[in-house]
Parts: sequence; structure tokens; C-alpha cells
Amino acid sequence: MNVFQRRGGHPLRVAFFAAMAATAVHAQDFSQLGISDLVGVTDRMLQRGDYKSAIPALIEVVSRTAELNDEAGRKTAQNARFELARSYFQTGSAAEGIKVLEEYMANEPRDRERQALRMLAQGFFEVQEWAKIQETATRLLKFPDLTDEDRFIGNLMLGQSYFQEEKWAESVPPLEFAALHAKEDRIERACQLMLVRALVESENWGKLFGWVQRVYRTDAKYDISLNLTLMKAGKAQFEKGDEEHKNEYLNALLLYRMVLPREELLKHSGTRQKSLSQKLADDTQRGIPQTEIDERQKEIDALNESMDTLRGLPPYEQEVSFRIGQIYAEVKRFWEGFVIFDELFKEDATGEIGETSLLQSVLVLYDLQQYDRAEQRVVNYLDERPNGRFARTLLSLMIRDNLNRKQYGRIAEFQKYVDELPPTDDADERSAEADIHYMSGFSFFLNRDYPSAGAQFKKILDDFPESDYVPNSTYFLGMAFLMQGEYAKALPFFQTYQERYGEGEQFASAMFREAISLFGAGGLETDKEKAAEMVRQSEAIFTKFIDTFPDEDLVSEAYSMRGDIEAAKESTNDDPYPLDRAVKDYRKGIDTAKTQFQASYAAFQAAKVYQLETKWQEIIDLMKYYMNRWEDQADVAQAVYWIGQSQIELEQVQQAVEAYVDAIERFGNEPAQFGVDKIIGELVKVAATHLSPGDREGLAIQLKLKLANVAESMPVLKLRYQVAQAMLEGDEAAAALGAALLSQEIPLEVTSPSSLALMCDAAVSTGNAAEMKRLSDYFIEHFEESELLWHAYRARAYKLQAENDNWGVLAAVDEAQGLFGVEPHMGWAQLLKAETLYRMEKYEEAEEAYNTMMGVPQWRGPLFAEAYYGMGKCRLGRQDLEGAHAFFQRIYLLFAAYSDGDWAAKGYLAAADCLVKLGREQDAIKTLQDMLENPYTKTNPLAEKVRDQLKKLGVQ
Amino acid sequence: MMKMMTRISLLALMASAGTALAAEPLNAKLIMPGGRSWEGQVIGRDGDWLEFATGRTQAQPIRVGASTIEELQFDVQLDERALARFMEGRQFAEVIAALEKTLSAYAPYNDIRSNLTKYNALLMELYYRVGEYGKALALAEKVAADDRDEALQGKGRTYHALSLVGLGRIADAEATLRSYGWEQPAAMGSDPAQLYIQAKLLCTKNEFAKAMETVAMIVAFNSQNPDWMQPAELLCAEIYTELGLLDSAGEVVREILLLYPGTAEFDAAQELQHRIDKLMIDRQFEQPEQPEEA
Repeated sequence: MNVFQRRGGHPLRVAFFAAMAATAVHAQDFSQLGISDLVGVTDRMLQRGDYKSAIPALIEVVSRTAELNDEAGRKTAQNARFELARSYFQTGSAAEGIKVLEEYMANEPRDRERQALRMLAQGFFEVQEWAKIQETATRLLKFPDLTDEDRFIGNLMLGQSYFQEEKWAESVPPLEFAALHAKEDRIERACQLMLVRALVESENWGKLFGWVQRVYRTDAKYDISLNLTLMKAGKAQFEKGDEEHKNEYLNALLLYRMVLPREELLKHSGTRQKSLSQKLADDTQRGIPQTEIDERQKEIDALNESMDTLRGLPPYEQEVSFRIGQIYAEVKRFWEGFVIFDELFKEDATGEIGETSLLQSVLVLYDLQQYDRAEQRVVNYLDERPNGRFARTLLSLMIRDNLNRKQYGRIAEFQKYVDELPPTDDADERSAEADIHYMSGFSFFLNRDYPSAGAQFKKILDDFPESDYVPNSTYFLGMAFLMQGEYAKALPFFQTYQERYGEGEQFASAMFREAISLFGAGGLETDKEKAAEMVRQSEAIFTKFIDTFPDEDLVSEAYSMRGDIEAAKESTNDDPYPLDRAVKDYRKGIDTAKTQFQASYAAFQAAKVYQLETKWQEIIDLMKYYMNRWEDQADVAQAVYWIGQSQIELEQVQQAVEAYVDAIERFGNEPAQFGVDKIIGELVKVAATHLSPGDREGLAIQLKLKLANVAESMPVLKLRYQVAQAMLEGDEAAAALGAALLSQEIPLEVTSPSSLALMCDAAVSTGNAAEMKRLSDYFIEHFEESELLWHAYRARAYKLQAENDNWGVLAAVDEAQGLFGVEPHMGWAQLLKAETLYRMEKYEEAEEAYNTMMGVPQWRGPLFAEAYYGMGKCRLGRQDLEGAHAFFQRIYLLFAAYSDGDWAAKGYLAAADCLVKLGREQDAIKTLQDMLENPYTKTNPLAEKVRDQLKKLGVQ
Repeated sequence: MMKMMTRISLLALMASAGTALAAEPLNAKLIMPGGRSWEGQVIGRDGDWLEFATGRTQAQPIRVGASTIEELQFDVQLDERALARFMEGRQFAEVIAALEKTLSAYAPYNDIRSNLTKYNALLMELYYRVGEYGKALALAEKVAADDRDEALQGKGRTYHALSLVGLGRIADAEATLRSYGWEQPAAMGSDPAQLYIQAKLLCTKNEFAKAMETVAMIVAFNSQNPDWMQPAELLCAEIYTELGLLDSAGEVVREILLLYPGTAEFDAAQELQHRIDKLMIDRQFEQPEQPEEA
């Protein structure tokens, strides 16, 4: 709008027409013109937009009217000044325009002060006088009745000036106003970008994130400087973030999330640059002011510059993504972090960021308890890159996770990766590797693979002497040997630990284990004097341990062990009371026990000592003391067993039987109460040896009634009653029950050692290898402490025999004999061993194995006959007919009464056969005739065969 | 006072729409194949025939076969600025009521291609937002069938699938996704709308971990997409809550409250925060006391 064109008439013309005479006008020489002509000329120039020509004319008007004091004159001067300033601005002479406007502002009247302030602000903007803009714009904005345009321009100028001076906080309100009220998209965009920058710099996060949402619905998001600002600010916030400054992480996240990839930015900016350049060219042709041309060219140049800056930056996308992923993981947005890391890894599996992302993704999966998935990732990585940068770290993570979840068996599967780790000198890598070996060792140990555990701990001692795990590895290597019964090998490690690590956490335990090792080594030592010395040293160390660590958890066991040592001593004249000391130690063991196991061991060991001394009442008193002390936690069934035993010895048989029956009822439904199975066995024995037939019948009826009344919710008790009833009836009934239970396929959860024993025996009898395995595995896994466990080992051994695994059989037999020795019920093991050696045609070894049985008095009986028969067969295998005949002969001479004469009959037949082969047919016939006359064998089923044979030979 | 003014504006919005109620002729432009078109009024419908009066008078209406019409461009009297304001104010029920009333006048002509698709699309979205999945589905099928505007059609398909999921019709939803070719496994470059649908579907099947991984991709790889970030973030918070990861859920809620004030997601997040707080308290009571060290 031309200021000079007013509805009410031209003010200059009005003001001066009356005062001055008109004067002819010459276009160039304004000094000659009269004032009204001058004004008229000026007006016409302004109307046609010839600002350049109008300037000298306006200068002339101002110079002539500047000194006037009347109202009209001052008004004319001020208007002239205003127009002069406007003309200067129009012609690009902002500095001159400013001077004139300042003059205007210093004079009166200022009818157009508002517009003047606007122009002044714009002028100062062009000459970049920011402080003056602020002063001017602030003054403008205080005007009442401002137009929307004025308010917009004022805020725009003010905001930009603050922005240019980097007064970020101050720039926010005006820029916000301008952004909200801009009518042109270009200006709105520019304001938004400045505002966002100002909010970032002033760390006004709340407002920033609200504005960013708006900006990101427009193309402004592609602004390169905006993206660079966001990246820079994101980095700064990220670096401030930590456990205590989580808001900084959030800020960084929200900033980074807005950064676009370089290619996308360049593509959009390139398109925009072309579009702007094309539009500028078109508009220039159409004729736009130079100032606008310059402004728009500046914009294009700035765009090009920012594109060059962006191209010059190193690649940032992956780093930004990685940081975003890190932040997500840090603030527990696990899945968001995971997908980012996963993608980074996929993009560049072998690069640094890619591999690091894999590691991070695994960490996140573990946080999410996605164990299988995490493990699969680690395994894939290790398979593909056993030398990878994070091989040790990932392997360590995986092992630690399995250790925490008690999946010890899995860890063994990872050993191949451990073995493939290349050597390293890097301290961190070595520390990670020591971690791996230690955790592996622990896992093997907890999984009872003691040789493998020992190997891992030894690796640490040998290869990682600098590791913090050396002290514990020393101790646990000793423990690994100890658990394998290799006491001599274990001992030095416990001694070394005590020598080197006086403050170590295992110091007390090491002392205790040293004593155990000496005790164990003493037991295996063949030299009696050395053995005695070791046991003496062991005792001394147990005493030292008890005195030094009276409150240690192991002190109860130390007392019990010392009690065992005392109990093993023979009374002498010099030392008549070792058993008394043993009992005293056992009592202390009960008193200081921290676990039920410790108390039980001490109590029952004491009972055994009292048993040796036939102190039956003391046993009863001790068991009552033990049960009172430990109440619900006591092994009551075992204690009752001992009470019952003692009562029987004290001829309180009925009380014993009642106590047994009562204990079965009270504890019979708990499979873990092994004592109940022991009580069942003892009840059957007591019934056979101490009860009259009538009382036995009464007991059978009592058990029958209890069985009938047991609740369905107590299946374990029910089964135990069935076993007790069957065993009371006899071996045949017990065997039949075992077979029946097997065929019924009862769930193993309701079984207990007594029923499992019958079932194992039934499986062996029927040759059911699958059942032998199933039952023996379950039995061994769940009832390791049961005295009936030998049934499981028997089934295991026979299962291997059924599979013709001879070496397996021999190993199983060795294991069983190692656990159960030469107990009366263990004859089967030696027999099986001999039979297996015979099958393997190792006749000498087999004969030796059979012969060994003769040295075990508790196996006297049919087993001896069978052993002789076996030895005879071995001699046959060695083609020694005479020797074989001799063995076969001894069977019917020495063991005719066993097994209803079966072995004797077999012996006769085998002996006769040898005689035939030796060409002594008459002696053979004589042997067979003796068999028919022997009262033990003449009615044997084999005797009929012999009669037929003799008939054929024509012998009666 | 604000509420009163808002109500008055709403009434004005509806009043202006009320001029197009049934029984009144509807101002429209009739476009026939070949580009021929006439301004006038739709008088009524008689089976397959449409009565149209050219010009603004009811004299001499012409009868046109409905199936021969290329398009009807109705002069819908709806103040879109006011609509936008109400949407911003989350007064969805009122907007739905206004749209239903406005569009009811055009119901007899729903089978004819018109410029009403964008209104139907808006109503479809609003129905979905307020949980009226059946109604959303009906409209979505219509919008998805109109191929004149690719963006609207895409929206129609999206809400078609989402509505089926909302109704628990899993098999139908999966079949729909297959028919659209949207059943590809979730990946970085996947369309955020499709990821969102897949995530919702997985939630319906109680596969929350997979759902979370899917929706996480929207948040991770589409952070500059304001249309899908908001619902995706809310869904993240909901799924984390279902997974029992209450700290994670709380973190997402915190971000929603910071970033999206004055939105429907903000409101939903506030409610979710109450639920999370309650769950955290319940969890504290459920945990057994730690025994003292021996």
C-alpha cells in the first residue's frame, strides 16, 4: 500500500498548498521547485514505484521542512522522513533508511510509529543489529491495537534476533508465535526449524518434543541442519545419561529417533534444491525484486552448503541406531532394543558395530528370558566365528545362564567351544576365559562329573595364575579329587590353600577337607603304620577344626568324623574308652548340627556304637533325644527302626512291632522316608524270628486291614502296605507282587525303595531290559541313600548283560561292589562278573572270580555250588577235563542239599560227561547210577533223563 | 464455559448437516461416463433408478440408472474445521453422532460411487477407536472396495483387518491379510500398518512375546511416522503389561505422556498407568519375605 495515497486527500499537498505558491518543476533539479510542486512530483514518483528517483526529492522536502515548528510543517517533515526511509529500504539502502527512521522516531508527530518500528526492525535485521531489533520489536509489540501482521512481524523479528545471538530461551516465545501464525509455508517452516533448534539448545525438552511431532508431519523434517542439530544434541544427552540420569537417556532417545538417514536427507534436499532453483529462474524471468532474488538465492546456497556438510560427515546411521538400541535396552524397552540390534547385526555381521550388536542382542534376550533364542545366537556365532571378537564374552554369558538355571548337563556340550578358543594376551579376554573355566568347573562339579570339574580348575591354576579364581580353584580341585575318592591327590590342595590363603573364604572348609582326605587316604593305605599315622593326623585336624571354628557349619560333621575315628579304635588297657568318646562326639554332632543330615548321621552312628556295646536302652534314649531335638525334620522312620531294634533286644517285641507298624502308617506316604522301607524289612524279619505263628497271623491281618482302609489319596502308603504284606507271606509272594506291579505299569512317583526293589528283581527275572533300565535309573536318581539301592544296580548290570555288553556288565558290577562291598545280598555281583568273564572266554579270570566267592562266608550256600559249577565250566573251556571233573564232583559231594539237589544233579551230569570224554565210560555210568541213588538227587527232574539214558545204554 | 461453547459449536455443526436430512433433495453433481456432468439435486431413488433434478429446482427431474452413474459428488454440509477441532478434543462420540446423522441422508445412495468415501473412512476409523468393530468392519469393507483413492483404499484395508481382529475373527483376519498379500513375516522394511495388524493379531492369539517383537519394529524403524508411532507405542505399553514386564510398560507410558499430550493415546496411557501401579502393588504383596541370612 502506498502511504501517500490517503482517502482524505494528500497531507503534504493539503499542508503546503495554502502556504506556498506553485512553482514550475524541473525533473532533476528539485531545489528549484516550489514545495507543493516538489511534493507533487515526489508523490507521482512514489505512486509509480520509482523509489530511487523519489529519494532526492524527499531529501529536499525533508531539508526544507525539518526546521518548521508549526503542526502542519512538522507533519509534512515527518511524512517525508517516513517515505524517504521507505524508499531507501525499497532501493536496498537499509542503513540510510535506518538513519532516517531514527530521525523520524526522534521527532513528532509519529502518526505511523507502528509502521516505522516495523520498518526499523526489518532494517536492523538487514544490517544484523540484533540488539536494536530487540529494542525496536519489543517496543512495537507493546503497541495497543496491533494488527495481526504487525504482531507477526514483531515476533518474527524479535525471535530471529534472539536466535542469531544464540539467546535460545529468549527466542522461544516469539518464534513460537511466529511459527503458529505464519501464513507462508516457507516462513512457517523456517520458524519451526529455528524454534526446534532453540528448544534443543535451551534444553526445553517438554516443549521440544511437542514441536518435533508437528515438524515431523511436514517436510521440515528433511532439513539437514535440523538433523545435525538433533544428532549433536542427542549425543550430548546420551553422554550425560547414566543410572542416575535416566531422563538424559530419554531425551537422547527422542532426539536420535528423529534423525533421518543421510541418503534420505540428500535425496529430499536435492529435489528441493532443484525445485527452488527452477522456481527462482522462472520468477526472475517474470520479474521479481532483486532483494527477493538475493534472498532466495541465499536459501539455495545455504541448502547446498548443508548438503556438502552432510556429505562430508562420516557415516552415522549405524552409530545412531546403535545408540538408540542401547538406550532402549537401558530403559528396559527390551524388545525395541532387540530388533534394532538384530537389524544392525544382519546388516553387517562381521563389522564392529554388527558384532557388538549381536552381543547386545544376546544380552537383551537374556533379560527377556528368551534363553533358547539367546543360546541359538551364541552357538551360531561360535560355530561361524570361533575366533570372533566376542567369543569369550558370549560363551561366558551362555555358561553363566545355564549355571544359574542349573542346566549343568548343557554346559558340557559347550566344552568344544572352550577348547577352540585361541590363545590371547589381552587381560580382559583372559579374565573372561578364566570365568568360563571356573563356571564350567562349577557346573561339572554340581553335575557330579568330578574328573571334568577337576580338569577345569586345574586349567585355571596352570594357565591363569593371575586370575582371582586361583584360590577357589585350588580348593575345588581338591574337592573334585575328594569326591572321586582320590584322597591322596586331594590332600595337597587343601594344605596349599591353608598355607597361601589364610583369609580365604574356604579356609575353614579346607582344614576340614584336609582332615577328611587324611582319613580317606588312611583307609586306602595298605601299609598299616602309614594308615594309622594318617588317621591320627586326621583326628588331630578334626580337633583343631572343632577348637578353631566352633560355630562353623561343618563342625557337626567334624564331631561325627572324630566320633567315627574313635569308634574304630580298639579298647586297650591304656585307652579303654574310645567308644565313650565316640558317643560323646556323636552327641556333640547332634547338638551342633545345622542340617537334618548332619544330625541324623551323628545320631545313627551313635546308635551303631551303642549297638556294639549292646546298650539298647541308651539307643532308645538317644533316639528320643534326637527326635525331640529335631522334631519334624528328624528322620523319624530311621529313629523308630533303631528304637524297635533295641526294644526287640530288650525283649519288648510287641512294643517294637507296634512302633514299626505305627511308623509305617505315619510316614509311609512319603517316598523320601527310606527308614519306612527299612522298617518293613525289619518287621518281616522280626515276624519270622520273634513272633509266634498266631502273632504272625495277627500281624498279617492287621496289615491287611490297614491296606483295605488306606485312603486313595495315599498311594505310596498303600503300595508299602502291599509290599509288607507280600514279604510277610514269603519270597514267592513278594516276587509275584513285583511281577504284578511291573505289569500294572504303576507310576513311579508312588513307589519307594521297597516296591522298586521288588520290581527291579521282577524285571531281571523276566529279562525285561527296558524296565530294568527305567526302574534302575529312577531308583538311583531318587533314592541314592537307600540301603536297598543294590537292587537297582543289579537290574542295571543285568540289563547290560541282556544287551550283550560284557564290558558294561563288568563296569556295572565294579561300581556296585564299590558301593555295597561283600554284603550278604551281593553275591550276585561276583557271580555275574565270573559268568561274564566266562562268556568272554577269559577262563582263567573267570575261574579266579568264581574262586573269590569261596572267601566270603556270608555267601555260603547255593552260590558256592554255582561257583564250583562255573569253575568246572572254566576248566572245560581250557580243555582241562580232569580239572573240570574234579570241580563237578565236589558239587554233589559238598553241596547236595542246596536248591533241592539241583546243583548236585547238574554236577553229576557234568562229571559223567567229562568221564565219557576222557574215555572212562564205565566210570561215567557209575556216576550216573550214584546220582539215582543219592537221596538229594534221585527225585530231581534231571533224574528221569538219566534213567532214560541208562536204559538206552542197556544199564539198569 | 468452554464446554458450553463447544456444545454450541457442535450443534451448529449438526444443524448445518441437518439441512441434508432425508426427504430433502440433496445438492450434488451428477457425473456420467465420458465426463458429462450436471449440477443439481438428487430428488430420490426408485429401485435402480435415481431421480435427479438439474439446476437447483425440482422441475423436470431426470431418471438415471444407478448402475450407469460414474460418480455422485454430494455437497456435504459438514464443517470440517469444526470436525477437526472436535477430533483434537477427542470428542469422538459427538463426532460419530454428527457424521452418522449427516451420512444417513445419503444412505439410499451408498451403492453408488460418490465423494462420501472420505467421510466413511473417517467414521470407520472413529468406530474402531471407540471399539465398535462391527460397524467399523462394515464401513471398512466399503472403503476398501473403492479403488479411486489409493490412500483411502489402503486405510480401508487396514481397518478391515483390524476390525476383524477386534472382533476376534482370527481366521478371517488371517485370510484377509493373505488376500491383500500382507502376510509376509515382519521385517525392518515392513509397512507399519501391516506390522500393527500383525501385532494385534498375535495378541489375540496370546502370543504376546511375538506381538511385542512385531510392534517393536514399528517403534524402532518408523519413528518418523507420526500416524503409527502413537498407536504402536500404546500397544507396546499394553503388551509389556501383559508380559508382566511392568517396568518396561511404565517406561513406555512415561514416554507417551511426555510426547503425545492431548491425544487418545495419552488418555489410554493414563488409564494403563493406573493398572500398572495396581499390578505392581499386587506383586509386592505376593512376593514372600526374604529369609534372614543364617
